Amino acid sequence: MRLAAALFASRGNPKEPVPFQAILPLQLKRKVSGKGDKTSDVCCIYEMSVLFACFKSNDFNQAPCAKEMEAFQKCYINHLESVKKKKEREAKGILTPGEKKLSHKQINILLEKFPNFK
Amino acid sequence: YPSYYIKPVHKKEVQDELAKSGELQKLVHMPTRAALNDQTCSPAQDDLINLFINYIMRDGLKVLARDLVERAFENIKRIQLEKYHKCASEEDKQKIELNPRVIFHQAVENCKPILNLTPIKRGGVRYQVPVPITPKRSQFLSMKWLIAAAKEKDSKVRFHHQLALELIDAANNRGRVVKRKQDLHRQCEANRAYAHYRWS
Repeated sequence: MRLAAALFASRGNPKEPVPFQAILPLQLKRKVSGKGDKTSDVCCIYEMSVLFACFKSNDFNQAPCAKEMEAFQKCYINHLESVKKKKEREAKGILTPGEKKLSHKQINILLEKFPNFK
Repeated sequence: YPSYYIKPVHKKEVQDELAKSGELQKLVHMPTRAALNDQTCSPAQDDLINLFINYIMRDGLKVLARDLVERAFENIKRIQLEKYHKCASEEDKQKIELNPRVIFHQAVENCKPILNLTPIKRGGVRYQVPVPITPKRSQFLSMKWLIAAAKEKDSKVRFHHQLALELIDAANNRGRVVKRKQDLHRQCEANRAYAHYRWS
């Protein structure tokens, strides 16, 4: 035990407050990761609930629910199309001014154009 | 084929439509792939039936698959004719559908699901969440279920006979496959609370 204590003492006793050592440069990267971008497709929930109400009332017989089914399908197809268009726009790198939600690729384009430091 | 080779338009009606809309001019001078062996411009050809034959086919035995489907249609015709001649009144006779292709289309249409359950993992628990599906996937599931139901048969019954029975039942909105679709919809409805959560 005396030997271990001597070994620890040779490293120097830690003094509070610990002096700050900037090992890595104090700079943010010029990129944003895409991890937080992913949102699962939350769409057509209203149409789905309407469809379920119709199904419940008709004991899951599809014949009288044709309108609700079509509305639900349309909603989903429109959602898929809009997602596809958004992806195409991102791939081209088009940025519309005044957009609230930017994807990580669009932010990276902006950061490249206007870096924080030289 | 290189990726820029386009698929051929083998149906006369589709070609006429393209000619009207002006799209034909664009496609005429593009390099085209060869048409598949089961693609013809004959009006007796049905793309959906060809697809169904492909789904039944195993190990590349196209002749067997086509033969099974054709026998199934023959069986449908026989069963329907029997019903037709046993009918007393003209009204009932008119209600019976004799064309097996129409029955096939109706059966596929009646078995198409609208939602599906996908497992989504949140907080270590896998929830079955109801999710919309594309029309193509829905059509594929319908045909797959029909074939699976026909395979679940008594060993003494022939596959084409069982398939004929399944198709007739499905076209009349009853039977195993329609029940399977409705059970899926019921489960989706039971799990609708999970869909309401804003997954993010």
